[in-house]
Amino acid sequence: MTTDIGQWLGHLIGQVEGVQHRGRHARRQRLDVAPDALPALLELLQGKGSFVHLSAISCVDWPEDGQFELVYHVWSYELKTLVSAHIRIPREPGRYLSVYDIYKPAAFFERDIHEMYGVFFEGSPSMEKFILTEWDGPPPMRKEFDSENWVNDHFDWQDYHPDWLNDIESRGGGIAIRPDEQRFSRKAKHES
Amino acid sequence: MTSLSDIPVIQTPPEAPARGGNPLANVFDDFIRYCRSRSLFMLHYCTGCGAIELPPAMTSRFDMERIGIQPMVTPRQADILLVTGYVSVKTLKRIILTYEQMASPKYVIGICSCTVNGGMYWQSYATAKKLNDYLPVDLYIAGCMPRPEAVIEGLKALRDNIEAGTSDNWKDYYQRYDHYLGNQQRLFGADWQTPTEVIAEAKHYGLFGPDTLGEHTRRLEDHRKPLEPLRMTLNAGRLEHME
Ligand code: SF4
Repeated sequence: MTTDIGQWLGHLIGQVEGVQHRGRHARRQRLDVAPDALPALLELLQGKGSFVHLSAISCVDWPEDGQFELVYHVWSYELKTLVSAHIRIPREPGRYLSVYDIYKPAAFFERDIHEMYGVFFEGSPSMEKFILTEWDGPPPMRKEFDSENWVNDHFDWQDYHPDWLNDIESRGGGIAIRPDEQRFSRKAKHES
Repeated sequence: MTSLSDIPVIQTPPEAPARGGNPLANVFDDFIRYCRSRSLFMLHYCTGCGAIELPPAMTSRFDMERIGIQPMVTPRQADILLVTGYVSVKTLKRIILTYEQMASPKYVIGICSCTVNGGMYWQSYATAKKLNDYLPVDLYIAGCMPRPEAVIEGLKALRDNIEAGTSDNWKDYYQRYDHYLGNQQRLFGADWQTPTEVIAEAKHYGLFGPDTLGEHTRRLEDHRKPLEPLRMTLNAGRLEHME
């Protein structure tokens, strides 16, 4: 069975509709799944395929396509194979089903994705804040969130040539920063 | 916004030779400063990756104890607050709480480029950029990360500054509390407050100045919740079952 995982996996997922299989390597299999088919597929992989370990759920933002890509990585200890199941869901309204009933650790990954991308998972045990407990801005991992602007609005930068540097330079030290890499705080920007 | 040099350093009483230039006039002050600079307890708040260089700096290879510096476990007993590496916004709140609990005189050292200007996290929404906007930093040790030699060199510089009486930025925190609080409020929101009575402490130390109070400290009064004593009971966790 382990000799040709691609074939075996192809056979297994043939039972679910809407799945495309691309095996790049015996240890790494990629499945492109229709969003409706994913719960059934995961259940099959877990129940029949020994993929008992959900390594991670990751999320990719595709603003041009108006889509989020969710990737479910499941690992089998017996086959030593990682299967990544990719789905695409519409960016608006950004809702999907929780797979918490199949894999318990999904609760944390889904909570994290909800916080970072604003995707809502129906049926997930908790959609509260997770790591960014003191953050009230937009979900920061969305592509349209401009981190650099936010930083410029909220922080000031150190001066590039403060007076105390003269002391250090007179003793032979100092710093050199290329002009295109210099950043200036609000105040300096408004003044210039 | 502020360069370190703009922060007025308050000199310890000027060394003007009193009473006809008695060379022994300041001998006691000098002696105290000498002793203080030779026995420093350091609270290392290991916020970022720079903390990795501290174990070698502390232990036998570089051995900072030979210059009289030892790690300390609580802020109340520490003299130096060592901030080692990037400071996330959440951590910054804890650092300010820790700093305010320390007894004066106290010194802050920012280790790593990240505390100077955000370092390689300059674009990140989650990390604070300039530590000296929020706390009075005495010394920065730049580098990503600075080697133990640099750390020891920086600590020696601090020791010399303390002995010379030039390292008293902690007074600046009391004298310009409004400025620091303003930066803290800008980041944490208008209702930010700490349980420490900084203003009362400023009066106690005789450091209450014209810039201690200002618009930001006034805002503090709007939000201040009176501290309530905790009820002292045994098995407090099961209080609701008793009632
Ligand atoms: S300066 Fe470098 S080593 Fe230090 S905290 Fe920042 S990234 Fe880490």
